[in-house]
Amino acid sequence: MRPASYWLGCVAVWLVAWAIVEIIVRKGPHGGWRARACALAVPVIFGLTVLFWWEMVVRGLGVSPVILPTPTAVASRLVGNPDLFFLDFIQTFKGLAAGYLIGCGGGVLVAVLIDRVPFLQRGLLPLGTLVSALPIVGVAPIMVMWFGFDWPSKAAVVAVMTFFPMLVNANAGLAATTRTDRDLMMTYAAPYGSTLMKLRLPAALPFVFNGLKINSTLALIGAIVAEFFGTPIVGMGFRINAEVGRMNIDMVWATIAVAALSGSALYGLVSLVERRVTFWHPSYRGRLS
Amino acid sequence: MRQQRPDEGARKGAPTRAPAGISGLLLDRVWPIAIVVLATVVIWYVAAIFMNADLQRQAFDNADLKTYTTADLVLGTWSQERPRLPVPHQIAQELVKTVFETPVTSKRSLVYHAGVTIEATALGFVLGSLFGILLSLLVTHVRSLDHGMMPWIVASQTIPVVALAPMIVVIMNQFGITGLLPKALIAAYLSFFPVTVGMVKGLRSPDPLQFDLMRTYSASRAQLLRKLRLPSSRPFLFASLKVGVAASLVGTIVAEVTKSEDGGLGARLLAGSYYGQTIQIWAALIMAALCGAALVGLVEVAELWLAPGQGTAR
Amino acid sequence: MKRLALGMMALCGASLAGLSAASAADAVTLQLKWVADAQFGGYYVAKDKGFYKDEGLDVTIKPGGPDINPEQVLAGGGADVVIDWMPSALATREKGSPVVNIAQPFKRSGLELTCRADSGIKTPKDFPGHTLGVWFAGNEYPFLAWMSKLGYKTDGSPGGVTVLKQGFNVDPLLQKQAACISTMTYNEYWQVIEAGMKPAQLVVFNYTDEGVATMEDGLYSLEGKLKDPAFVDKMARFVKASMKGWDYARQHPDETVKIVLDNDSSGAQTEVHQKHMIDEVNKLTMGTSGALDPADYDRTVKVLLSSGSDPVITKKPEGAWTHAVTDKAGLK
Repeated sequence: MRPASYWLGCVAVWLVAWAIVEIIVRKGPHGGWRARACALAVPVIFGLTVLFWWEMVVRGLGVSPVILPTPTAVASRLVGNPDLFFLDFIQTFKGLAAGYLIGCGGGVLVAVLIDRVPFLQRGLLPLGTLVSALPIVGVAPIMVMWFGFDWPSKAAVVAVMTFFPMLVNANAGLAATTRTDRDLMMTYAAPYGSTLMKLRLPAALPFVFNGLKINSTLALIGAIVAEFFGTPIVGMGFRINAEVGRMNIDMVWATIAVAALSGSALYGLVSLVERRVTFWHPSYRGRLS
Repeated sequence: MRQQRPDEGARKGAPTRAPAGISGLLLDRVWPIAIVVLATVVIWYVAAIFMNADLQRQAFDNADLKTYTTADLVLGTWSQERPRLPVPHQIAQELVKTVFETPVTSKRSLVYHAGVTIEATALGFVLGSLFGILLSLLVTHVRSLDHGMMPWIVASQTIPVVALAPMIVVIMNQFGITGLLPKALIAAYLSFFPVTVGMVKGLRSPDPLQFDLMRTYSASRAQLLRKLRLPSSRPFLFASLKVGVAASLVGTIVAEVTKSEDGGLGARLLAGSYYGQTIQIWAALIMAALCGAALVGLVEVAELWLAPGQGTAR
Repeated sequence: MKRLALGMMALCGASLAGLSAASAADAVTLQLKWVADAQFGGYYVAKDKGFYKDEGLDVTIKPGGPDINPEQVLAGGGADVVIDWMPSALATREKGSPVVNIAQPFKRSGLELTCRADSGIKTPKDFPGHTLGVWFAGNEYPFLAWMSKLGYKTDGSPGGVTVLKQGFNVDPLLQKQAACISTMTYNEYWQVIEAGMKPAQLVVFNYTDEGVATMEDGLYSLEGKLKDPAFVDKMARFVKASMKGWDYARQHPDETVKIVLDNDSSGAQTEVHQKHMIDEVNKLTMGTSGALDPADYDRTVKVLLSSGSDPVITKKPEGAWTHAVTDKAGLK
């Protein structure tokens, strides 16, 4: 057990960090690159504070490294063997990317196909909710059994997970035009195809992006979980599973960090594209001014 | 958030047909689902023939059966003990056996396992929702937290919770916390996120005009919250509670795979997978999906009961 | 919020009540390596037949699972004694978590590599170029030691073998995804047979026959705790009652199966499989008092140290086992 001064020091550092954040938020610059830098600094400081507490609590209480390693130990693992983490990432990413494309693409495609058949919509969508309630941990072993050990089975799990959220979102998106818009297209005597391409699909984009964002975190988790049920000896899910058994808990956390980082990056990428593509949507119009 | 009324979009293609009474309900709801289910079942049986044929031929070879007809093969693929893809009637039989023909108290009853799962799901859902609402209040009222915390809340969901589950169990063990709570916490971890995101959106959903009006009344922050923000966030709350309860179920099942000692659907899935009992896996999966649908239905009922006449924002 | 607080208080209260009720007898928590099955039959028998109670013990048996690492539970204070394989325990010890073998109820190893005969594998010389299924999470050490003894690379490079992390079941073999998979004599081998394969269609390599056997299911505890004579005494009573349980399991396999099935919380185990299992497990537990034979230990260490470039342990472990507990229990 550390002396009280140790903990008081920690609290002091924390309070200073908090004060900085308050100052930035209240008095920070408006507009320009400085404002953007400040907007970035706030979450970074927040994250650093959490890591600081983690480090200090683990050290202060003398927690065994096989229970919870310190962030510095995790970081040194990451820096020490980047190739290994890169290979793991590539392996997992193959399944993730393929599944994400198949699942999301299929979702949009089916939504467009059933769009003209309300009968199918009413039949498929309730089943969709049922299927999306399925726990991935149950689907994963089945897919490994069907599609083998390498990344295709992981892609299958990801595709199953992402298909229905996308279908539901795209379906709602295709319905997101107003009667006035459609009437306008009708007065142009626009055929179904151009109404779809020029009006309904663009109008559906915000919903499609919503689906893409939800799916980006789902896909990562799906790909990793699927690797728990049989893999070649590379991949993030494999690493986590194997290193827990070897008591290298710092390796486990390092892999988790890579996973969280790549998941956030994927999410960020989708958001960025969304902002570029659907800049006309009210939710962005307001903010850009 | 989508603002248009649901009926505006859904019927755009078809000529507006007024659903009158029971026959209307049949036409509108039951028929489409029934047809789609029927089609799925047919595809399922056909798929099972192809998926299981290899194993069936092996089985015939092993039994030194040299001559068999195609009919034998097809029937064989539908009645294997450990098929790659069990057919619906096999799963139905397993469900009937484990749900109706086994006493509920027995560990072989699927109802018993569903009960174990739902117990932890419910606790996790309550904890997660409360935490989610608390976070959303903090985010909407403390500016530094809004900027600092939201990205991390998103990042928290990119962590594969399955990887964390065993460690959470071990760490909590160290503090003498065992039983329901570790599972419920993992469930809460997954379910707080949609609630937070939905509630933040909901608490900010009132029109700027309405905020201005409240300001002219010189309403305090508490009054603003009670009289404007909370009421207008209600549809968002229930929409995200539905997502949250489903997420909580998934979290519990994930936790049960790690912490299989108390049983539950997750333990059932694990055991089924471990012993290659595919029929058992599928039965547990169906049960899980039904539980999920039931829980979402319960939230829907609660919504109707608490806020009659108010539609969810969907 | 108030209700939540009340709920938390109720939960804490309930767990306290549970603790005080157990304090009449000495509480012991045993963490298993895997789910409740006949591999741990002796412990379940000892609990159900009251052998532990006779020794004044109140034993809680915690089943494990695919992601549960017994040593981590031990280090976290979640158990007093755990069951694990010696390679994994020694590797953990080298990482600075001082686990000590206090008893070794399993005299022989049940690990084997089971291959499809139609894959063309007849001897270990035929392995290169094939895909071999291995369990990970601490169970891969004996395999890695064997491969390095044979001089085969396991990273998939030419001339070596391709390693697959097999899941929890024997599907990879049945579906020809792997030429060989790891099996235990008492478990997965019978799953293969129960799935319809015939012994003639299989080629089995036993780790003992290949000279790479390592000690399996032993009882491990923390070094620090063993300095306390009261704890040693408690463990001695525990080991004594456990060995009595194994004796009973050997004499009454059918009853053991029933006891195991009663304790299976998933309700998924079948009687046929558990019967096969206990019969094979009984062969492994036969002929030992429970005290670790130092010769067995030395052989395990030698196998582990011999694993070429990436050895499981880098130096001879010191103080990794003790006879203090078994001596006190009168087991020689």
